[in-house]
Amino acid sequence: MSVEISVNLRKKIDEIKKKFPRDKSPILPLLHAFQDEFGYISVEIEEEVAKIVGVSPVYVREVSTFYSMFNNKPVGKYHIQVCGNISCWLRGYDEIVEYIKKKLGIEIGETTPDGKFTLSRVECLGMCDQAPVMQINGDFYGNLTPEKIDEILDNLE
Amino acid sequence: MSEKIKVTINGKEILTTPDKTILQVAEENGIDIPHYCYHPGLPVAGNCRMCLVEVEGARKLQTACSTQVRDGMVVRTDTPQVKEAVRQVLEFMLINHPLDCPVCDQAGECGLQDYYMEYGQYDPKFIENKNKKSKKATPIGKYVILDQERCILCARCVRFTRFITKTEEIGIFNRGDHSEVDLFPGKELNNRYTGNLVDICPVGAMTCRDFRFKCRVWYLEEFDSICPGCSRGCNIKIYYNPHRPHKADGNRVLRFKPRFNPEVNRYWMCDDGRYGYKFIDENRIMYPLKGKEEVYLDEAINSFVSLLKESIPDRTFYLLSANSTNEELFATKKFFVDNYKLENIFLPDEDIFTGDRDDLLITEDKHPNTNGVKAIFNILYKDLIKLDELRELLEEKSISLLIVNRHELPEDVLDFIKENGIKLVYLGTNFNKTSKAADLVFPISVFAEKEGSFINVDKRFQKFSSRLEPLGVSMPEWVLFNRLSELMEFPVYYSSYMNIFKHMISEVGAFKNIDLNNINKYGVLVEL
Amino acid sequence: MSVKILTKHFHIKDSHKIDVYISDGGYKQAERALKEMKPEEILEEVKKSNLRGRGGAGFPTGLKWSFVPKDTGKPVYLCVNSDESEPGTFKDRHIIEKDPHMLLEGIIITSYTIGAHESYIYIRGEYYPQAIRLQEAIDEAYAKGFLGENIFGTGYKLDVKIYRGAGAYICGEETALLESIEGKKGKPRLKPPFPAVVGLYNCPTVINNVETIANIPAIVEKGGEWFASLGPEKNGGTKLYAISGHVNKPGVYEHEMGYPLMKLINEDAGGVIDGLKLKAVIPGGSSVPVLRAEECDINLDYDSVAKAGSMLGSGAVIVMSEKTCMVRALQRLIHFYKDESCGQCTPCREGTGWMLKIINRIVSGNGRKEDVDTLYYIAKGILGHTVCPLGDAAAMPVMSFIDKFRDEFEYFAINKKSKVE
Ligand SMILES: Cc1cc2nc3c(=O)[nH]c(=O)nc-3n(C[C@H](O)[C@H](O)[C@H](O)COP(=O)(O)O)c2cc1C
Ligand code: SF4
Ligand code: SF4
Ligand code: SF4
Ligand code: FES
Repeated sequence: MSVEISVNLRKKIDEIKKKFPRDKSPILPLLHAFQDEFGYISVEIEEEVAKIVGVSPVYVREVSTFYSMFNNKPVGKYHIQVCGNISCWLRGYDEIVEYIKKKLGIEIGETTPDGKFTLSRVECLGMCDQAPVMQINGDFYGNLTPEKIDEILDNLE
Repeated sequence: MSEKIKVTINGKEILTTPDKTILQVAEENGIDIPHYCYHPGLPVAGNCRMCLVEVEGARKLQTACSTQVRDGMVVRTDTPQVKEAVRQVLEFMLINHPLDCPVCDQAGECGLQDYYMEYGQYDPKFIENKNKKSKKATPIGKYVILDQERCILCARCVRFTRFITKTEEIGIFNRGDHSEVDLFPGKELNNRYTGNLVDICPVGAMTCRDFRFKCRVWYLEEFDSICPGCSRGCNIKIYYNPHRPHKADGNRVLRFKPRFNPEVNRYWMCDDGRYGYKFIDENRIMYPLKGKEEVYLDEAINSFVSLLKESIPDRTFYLLSANSTNEELFATKKFFVDNYKLENIFLPDEDIFTGDRDDLLITEDKHPNTNGVKAIFNILYKDLIKLDELRELLEEKSISLLIVNRHELPEDVLDFIKENGIKLVYLGTNFNKTSKAADLVFPISVFAEKEGSFINVDKRFQKFSSRLEPLGVSMPEWVLFNRLSELMEFPVYYSSYMNIFKHMISEVGAFKNIDLNNINKYGVLVEL
Repeated sequence: MSVKILTKHFHIKDSHKIDVYISDGGYKQAERALKEMKPEEILEEVKKSNLRGRGGAGFPTGLKWSFVPKDTGKPVYLCVNSDESEPGTFKDRHIIEKDPHMLLEGIIITSYTIGAHESYIYIRGEYYPQAIRLQEAIDEAYAKGFLGENIFGTGYKLDVKIYRGAGAYICGEETALLESIEGKKGKPRLKPPFPAVVGLYNCPTVINNVETIANIPAIVEKGGEWFASLGPEKNGGTKLYAISGHVNKPGVYEHEMGYPLMKLINEDAGGVIDGLKLKAVIPGGSSVPVLRAEECDINLDYDSVAKAGSMLGSGAVIVMSEKTCMVRALQRLIHFYKDESCGQCTPCREGTGWMLKIINRIVSGNGRKEDVDTLYYIAKGILGHTVCPLGDAAAMPVMSFIDKFRDEFEYFAINKKSKVE
């Protein structure tokens, strides 16, 4: 199976190759770009990236399975990542995550049947001053309360 | 580089050079430092942490495999602190390791077992469930089986495929204690050196499909030899089972492994060579044949002598083999060239210009001793005859006796021989179409059954010996020529292997710089 | 009123924009450095300043720069460590969000000093909005001619590129960071060789924390001696203290080095929440030994915290009230290290996983009394035996939590429930 590359992605690929010409350096930025486009990193994408960089696909897979932000499986439209590390835990992670689980009817690591939400627990997001926090597709939300979660999630299309 | 420095290990003062690591210096001086990830043929990784030692002045224990020696360095490998650290590293290594030694092929050659006996033997504290991995005993190539749960993640296999074969098929995916050694999904090992992965894997995570469950390693015995698979002449060890004497379908030799030679193959050998051992025990010519009937050796020899006497040198033709040892070639030359006065003696081009070679070990000439033929017969590549022109040659010279050493003749030649009543004598180790068409067949012992020497592609003269008995009445060629010489009333020179070896060294010009009393274990370069 | 270096613009509207930065004298120091100072002079000032690395180890910055070999014929790189993944740490994020140009000015001066013409800012992948802000700042600086060819007309050339991580704490470790920029897994390298000699793409490389670099313009402006005069001896300058956990006003507070910990908790951060009693503090990011409340009467500089048996680390202060179950707190931390171990070396890979299994078992009510000793035993087996300091970082909290709160651990293991909750 080959990967369909959009014009926009092709442009990004060229920019990345130009910006990071050395060794395997393009691999991480390319994986980010492909994940932005496809939502996750499939084996086919790993092969495609390997071809672009001109390396064995083993290297790409080593990277894509090492870094936690690269999804090796499809995730929901909104990937809710709740910080479960110490500062957030001290400020109510347990209740927050329970609330989200109940609200969405899924456990950590699961996706809602409609494919809208995936729930993950992540390590410290560097937002401890706003604990408890979560990140959804790149955007941070801090000082979470059940009401705030309702407001955020209910407003996502 | 040759600057000498003084290092003290466990109180022992050692003079050495600063380009070495603590581990290398210790090994050279008989001090054992446990290690898994370190392999002398691979770049240092320093990840297993088994080789921790105390270095005076250092805050922490240091890894001996990655720490260079310095002048005045004081190292201890035997303090309670070191022993405890190593024991605990080993314990970590074992917590997720399955307890399947009874069914593991590596048992008996396993680094974990060895060091456990030496350092381990503690009360097991680990009472949790072991981690599961995705691949249990899965073939990952023609010869290799991977068991991820046994893997200790030393990354030797990864480094081998990155730095030695440069084929880069193996990676370590995921991270932390989920890390798994694997190939890219859907891919197979695609290099010609995969057997080495089994050798270098310190545990039973990579085992050999060919050897699997054939024999417990502690029943095996071994001896040093040279691979005859191509003109590289990789140094090998031959492993055989002395307790199971050969029967028609029983095999004595169970595996080859590479033997270190810094000048030839370092630590490696190719799969073709490694798994090409089966001809030693299979399809062997064990007894002389005359018209397809087994006959006594005396009868066969008498017949051969009659043929030689009936024919004349001008109408006799000999096809040399670059699989013969130097000693055999020397005896051949004595017999046929010096005494029988044969001029039609040639080396055919078969399997010499295969074009199949690589940058690591594999050479295109699939014979171990083409350079031996060159040294002894002064044959140049341009003198090689082309097997597909052999027919015309036989016709042109109206040959009546054709003696073939090991080669497989083309169909048209076999037909021509039959049609024209040319007598065909075959000297060889294994049956082939030519042996089957021959009037007389002599069983020759294989390289693993005799002493001898080859000259490799780089003109390195390498000796080998044997601990296997020749099958049936097979024999080295020089023994056969001794018998023939007696009957032909030629001088018989050689009472023993040593005897022929000495003659050869002193007579063959190319061997003049070989010192009989001092043949380097890594071989000697000769002048060709 | 204490001196502010790093946060002095934070209160200004649009402080992240280049015009705002310039209007307050921004990029003047870079210009002066490039035009009027020799690299050796700048290095001298930085050495004099007693600036110590703010990434955690506190290594003298000037000394680190001086390790870069001259005239190797190879390019020199500056890598700015913005991985900021140490739990409790969020100070670099504030600099990037509110004053990215101070960082860029620091990068220009530092690169010039060490002879680099290419600099990478390695930012953790999760800091996506921050990466965008930083890229905007870089674009602005290029547009003004502060980056690129012929900077300030001096002929000096410098390119600055952002390299985004993708979720791996270990990439904050300097050699793992280099591996990551080279497009590989974040697997720490063996040292030696040190990055100053063999770093990015095998070239001499300096790696510094964001906060470290952001101090450089001020040092060039006011001189190393001035900087050194702030804070106690050998601990020059101010520090961003990031305080979180059970306090009323978590956040980033800048003070001179050696600021009292209790003052930070009670005055800056408004005290422990709900009027609860203080129980414990982790003073330098999750990797350092925990302090009991009664041990907290200390000043926050490298040497004072070390004397108290812990470390200033990244200056991230995590505060725990009397309601905190230390067993569960440690469970969080072990979970983190087990998740983040790169898996390269045996003690860290296997030890963190083993510790997590045990503490999970204790917390789920299946503990045994011996478990506490086993945890300690595993941590000791990791400590000092690994390739990189992550192993120690995983071991130290375990040992200190048990040393200081053993009764809670034993209580949980034996009674199958928390002593606190
Ligand atoms: C596991 C681990 C994580 C680290 N994470 C960071 C980090 O996120 N940011 C940082 O600046 N330094 C981090 N460091 C320290 C760096 O290795 C390095 O010492 C630092 O970037 C040097 O910069 P400095 O001298 O300016 O402090 C980490 C170290 C370790 C061992
Ligand atoms: S498979 Fe063997 S050689 Fe490869 S990493 Fe595992 S233990 Fe080491
Ligand atoms: S390279 Fe040649 S000599 Fe070496 S193992 Fe292979 S076949 Fe044998
Ligand atoms: S200590 Fe941990 S993170 Fe560091 S190299 Fe070893 S396994 Fe990787
Ligand atoms: S042999 Fe030294 S760390 Fe593995």
